[in-house]
Amino acid sequence: MAEYDLTQTIVPYLDRHLVFPLLAHLVENELFPIKQVQAAQYELAKGTNMVDYAVSLFEQLNPNEEVPSEFQGKRESAVHTNERLQQEAQAVLNVIENPEVAQALRQDKNQNLAYLKEHYGVTLEQINALYNFGQFQYTYGNYSGAADYLYHFRVLSTDPDLTMSAHWGKLACDILTGKWEIALEELNTLREAIDSRAPSHPAFSTSSASDPALSQLHSRTWLLHWSLFVYFNHPQGRTLLLETFLAPAYLSTIQTSSSWILRFLATAAVLSRKASAVPGGAVSARVRHSIREVVKVIQMEEYQYQDPITAFLKELYVEFDFEAAQRELSKAEVAVANDFFLAEFKDEFLENARYLISEAYCRIHQRIDIGDLSERLNLSRDEGEKWIVNLIRETRMGADAKIDLGKNVIEINRPPLPIYQSVIEKTRGLAFRTQALGAAMARTAQPQAETQANNVDPPK
Amino acid sequence: MSRFFRQAGDSDSETESSSEEELMSSEDEAPKPATTKPAMSRFLRGAGNSDSSDGSDSESESESESSEEEDDKTKKKSRFLRTEEDEDSSDEEEGKRVVKSARDKRLEEMEASGKMMDNALKINDWVAISNEFDKLHRMVQRQQNVSEPVPPFFIRTLVNLESSLNAAVSKEKEAKKKMNASNARALTAMKQKVKKVLKEFEIETKKFQEDPEAFEREYSAAVTVEAPSVQKAKRGKKAEEGTEDEEDFTTVGKGGKTIQFTPESIFKNLQAIQEARGKKNTDRSEQIRILEKLLEISVTSYQRIRVLLALISSRFDYNSSVATHMPIDLWIAAQKEVDQLVGVISQDPRYSIQEVTNDYDELAERSPETEPNGTVVIRGSVISFMDRLDDEFTKSLQNIDPHGTEYVDRLKDEKNLYCTICRAQALYEKTKQDEPLGRIVMRRLEHIYSKPDAVVQALESTVAVSDLKPSILLSEFATKDLIHRLCVHLYKSGNSLLRTRAMLCHIYHYALHNDFHTARDMFLMSHLQESIHTADVATQILYNRTVVQLGLSAFRCGLIKESQAILQDIFATQRVKELLAQGVHTQRYQVLTPEQEKAERQRQLPFHMHINTELLEAAFLVSSMLVEIPLLASIDNEEQKRKTISKSFRRLLDFADRQVFTGPPESTRDHIMQASRALQDGEWEKCRDFVQSIKIWSLMPEAASVKEMLAKRIQEEGLRTYLFTYAPHYSTLSLSLLSRTFSLPLRAVTSIVSKMIWSEELSASLDQQAGAVVFHRIELSRSQLLAQVLADKVNAMVEQNEKTLDQKLGNVTSWSDRQDGAKGDKREQAGERRRGAERRGGVRGGTRGGRGARFAQGLGNQMASAQRSR
Repeated sequence: MAEYDLTQTIVPYLDRHLVFPLLAHLVENELFPIKQVQAAQYELAKGTNMVDYAVSLFEQLNPNEEVPSEFQGKRESAVHTNERLQQEAQAVLNVIENPEVAQALRQDKNQNLAYLKEHYGVTLEQINALYNFGQFQYTYGNYSGAADYLYHFRVLSTDPDLTMSAHWGKLACDILTGKWEIALEELNTLREAIDSRAPSHPAFSTSSASDPALSQLHSRTWLLHWSLFVYFNHPQGRTLLLETFLAPAYLSTIQTSSSWILRFLATAAVLSRKASAVPGGAVSARVRHSIREVVKVIQMEEYQYQDPITAFLKELYVEFDFEAAQRELSKAEVAVANDFFLAEFKDEFLENARYLISEAYCRIHQRIDIGDLSERLNLSRDEGEKWIVNLIRETRMGADAKIDLGKNVIEINRPPLPIYQSVIEKTRGLAFRTQALGAAMARTAQPQAETQANNVDPPK
Repeated sequence: MSRFFRQAGDSDSETESSSEEELMSSEDEAPKPATTKPAMSRFLRGAGNSDSSDGSDSESESESESSEEEDDKTKKKSRFLRTEEDEDSSDEEEGKRVVKSARDKRLEEMEASGKMMDNALKINDWVAISNEFDKLHRMVQRQQNVSEPVPPFFIRTLVNLESSLNAAVSKEKEAKKKMNASNARALTAMKQKVKKVLKEFEIETKKFQEDPEAFEREYSAAVTVEAPSVQKAKRGKKAEEGTEDEEDFTTVGKGGKTIQFTPESIFKNLQAIQEARGKKNTDRSEQIRILEKLLEISVTSYQRIRVLLALISSRFDYNSSVATHMPIDLWIAAQKEVDQLVGVISQDPRYSIQEVTNDYDELAERSPETEPNGTVVIRGSVISFMDRLDDEFTKSLQNIDPHGTEYVDRLKDEKNLYCTICRAQALYEKTKQDEPLGRIVMRRLEHIYSKPDAVVQALESTVAVSDLKPSILLSEFATKDLIHRLCVHLYKSGNSLLRTRAMLCHIYHYALHNDFHTARDMFLMSHLQESIHTADVATQILYNRTVVQLGLSAFRCGLIKESQAILQDIFATQRVKELLAQGVHTQRYQVLTPEQEKAERQRQLPFHMHINTELLEAAFLVSSMLVEIPLLASIDNEEQKRKTISKSFRRLLDFADRQVFTGPPESTRDHIMQASRALQDGEWEKCRDFVQSIKIWSLMPEAASVKEMLAKRIQEEGLRTYLFTYAPHYSTLSLSLLSRTFSLPLRAVTSIVSKMIWSEELSASLDQQAGAVVFHRIELSRSQLLAQVLADKVNAMVEQNEKTLDQKLGNVTSWSDRQDGAKGDKREQAGERRRGAERRGGVRGGTRGGRGARFAQGLGNQMASAQRSR
């Protein structure tokens, strides 16, 4: 099943520290030889300041060998640097933690800076020390501490590049400490920051235009990967994932640079069935029609990415080949179980997938053999019957579907929609939409009037 | 031997005349030594003339000695050479030999024709005399062009001729037997000519008649002053003469006098030619000849470069008219010379050709040693030569009938041209000139992007054996790699036009190799479709070609819908040929001015680059058929029928339907129309046969697999059409029957039917137990139908409103933004406004005709602007 493992594809888009959980997961599920994974873990840890961890990994890997002496030196220098940086940062921290100062700080960063400088002699270098110390703490694994420092730094700093970097750092810290609520907030602010960096026009006439656009593409790709941690751990994550990933900008990012994300998108779409099935649930149209959207994308990107999960959706909704879909589903089950992000959702995924199959099946068929359907769902006959009864009870199908136990069939009797009803359906939203139009026009009339007023003023 | 010769005496001894006789015969009889000569003699000449380089001098001396020895040994050679040695023995000769130069050679030519005249005089052949005289006169004029004194020999001939003319005329009068008509006519013509020429040289003649000796002395004095003392050149000279004879420049070779131009006078000659350039009466072919000779005698790299530069440009000058192409032999010569030029410069990095240089003395010899920073910078432009060479090649292909063998022959030259381009690329890589390098890489790319692998490999193989190789070569992998690297080079260059074109070529190449997805992704990511209408015409044509190729590639890959959608754009305009620059479109209501037509013609692609329009049409119509026919079958009321996907296909179909009698299909269109009819009737086998019998498929690279794919599609679409058409007449249909009728596997049938049910195209459901499709048909009453239509319409209206508002809102914000920005500067504001107006115009055009209009806009715009500018 290692062929469907995405760890190797994903790792290049993650921070060094974020890879540890992934590798730990690999150790657990034993897809790869454990030695190799441990070696990878060791290599990973070597590059960080988590010296003790690296040493323990080394010992695990080579039980009989002497621990290389370089770690000792590294450890010392790390401790030393830590002290130095802490002292530097402490000065600023003392000032900031002063409640008086906290009150005086405003929205405007420049003003804040001037204020701090004036009253407490805090310079820009000292603020940058916050960043440095935060980063250093991160490298030796003190994530919560790092998160604090980076938070403070971000409040004060005006340097856009460093702020951006602090954003990423903070997100990583929150992910690693498992504070999903905060991480989600962080993710959203970061996403805004990336999106607001307006890409210059990608027209072919400007020569340097590609660079900002390119860097934005990179940031978005990274964001997509990092956000997987959040979205698959936060309780509301799956629907939010659909919201984000199906936004045009991110969808095209997926299509151009990271088609494997489709697996997570497809899984989330399947998982969101429950959410969208709840009537009156406050979910956007995007989430409600997510499956349709996702299937479209899967079809489009078929030539560059395919795995059991996407293949399942494709067989089900493009080919309507239920046998093939069922085959793919059993493969997908394994793939999901082995995936770091998806493993937890295996049962839920399976249930939803079954539901999707039976829904599609029932919609197309008029008379269904129960045995056949159970087989389609990968269930035994009795289980299948139970499942179907539940299905009929749970969903709106109830009125139309009847089980004929004598013949062992389900009869689905779907009376055609009366014509007046279809007309009502069609025209239902129109009044509201027209109103919205009117409102929009009224709104635009105002700014227009303003601009006209501006134009009347003679330019000075 | 004539008395003229003895009198002429400008060169020396009595022996000469006799030896000359022998020389002539020996040369005629002994072709062998002559053939062995050139290689050696060229070397000798070079060595002998380059007195500047001491090192080579001694070498040449020894060489010449050894060759002498050799001559003695080899009997055959010696006959020719011995006479020369005899001459050498006289001391006086030694002195005279020094003066051998281009002038001497001319003199020699003159004497030869003088002799001929003499001979003709004896037999009273005035026609021959007249011809010879013309020749002589031309030579003298040429001599005057290079500002050398008129040789006394000529004057003497003139005087003698006059007297014999008079005699002849008087004799003619008395003679009983008249001369024949042509002879007599020649005689009278001669008389006039001589009179005219005598007038021209009146002064000289008078001087000569007064005192012939003094005149001669004067001349020889003038000559010796000019003549440099090239002491060591005697052997070389003689050898040289051999080559001259070989190359047929002179009528007769003669021991004493040889070449016409000296290396020293090259710059003077060059200047003379450059001054004459562009003047009305300049004889261009004559100039080219002179330059060719100059090239032969040029010694140093500097001289060679200068002469080559002049020679190539004069070759390009040869044809002044823009409409016609350059003669092919001239082109080949020019191509070789450019090659040579590139070779010379790249061999010696101390010389460089640049478009902008400091002023330097045109007449002085320069070498790296004399230049301040060690490199000789010469004014000129290799890249413009390359451009011109390539353009001329294209132009000649445009003008040659593509169905003749001449065209094929001409195409063979592309190999050499491609090689030259690659050499130039190597040169620029060496000299690190990025701007011309980009241009040359583009030229190279344009030669290969549309060609199949085999052709590219053939082209590349010539480059592989060349001595100069560019850094990017065809590796063993594939042409894709080559194209990719060339394109990447251009993407990195700063020139946006080149980048755009490279991108299009790259996409085209991918599409050509059936890599549809890559090509499509690149195409979409390039965002070219947004800005292409502002590009120049050539790039727009390339864009159109790329789009069309993309469509064809989708077709070959079996992506019928995509192919249809892509090709639709270009077929909607109905000007396919024009948009692809493969033929001039004649518009019914608009007459092109001659200038427009000429411009149009210049844009045309050479035939071998064409995308076959018939194949294109076949692909488009077949994919339209596969998309449209099921759609047609699915709609049942008039209202919906108006919505069409492909107008042009629908029109053809309607036209075919109206035909009272349909015969067996002939053209591609007929085939497809009849296939569509068959598909509509559910006869998929007939449809398949019609489509597969279209002959033009054979032009597609993978004809067999494409046909197979089409057959499968026809089965599927046939099934869909059948279901749509006949659903009202059945209440159930067995799946197995369907599978048998359309010879599709049961699973495929189930899949197709399920798909149709799922997407609510077909109101039916499957009965799993019976294995049948059960149709639910509801008959709508008239009022119900109307209500539904009404609801649809209202829906559409609201949607339209929303769209309009969106557009309006978008525009409004952009307007206000712009005005805010331009508040300060009035002029800028005006500019902005104009731009805004243009944009609005563009939007309008876009909405009016949809994407098709955007397409046509390309050329239309350009024309409009051309008209305006005129």
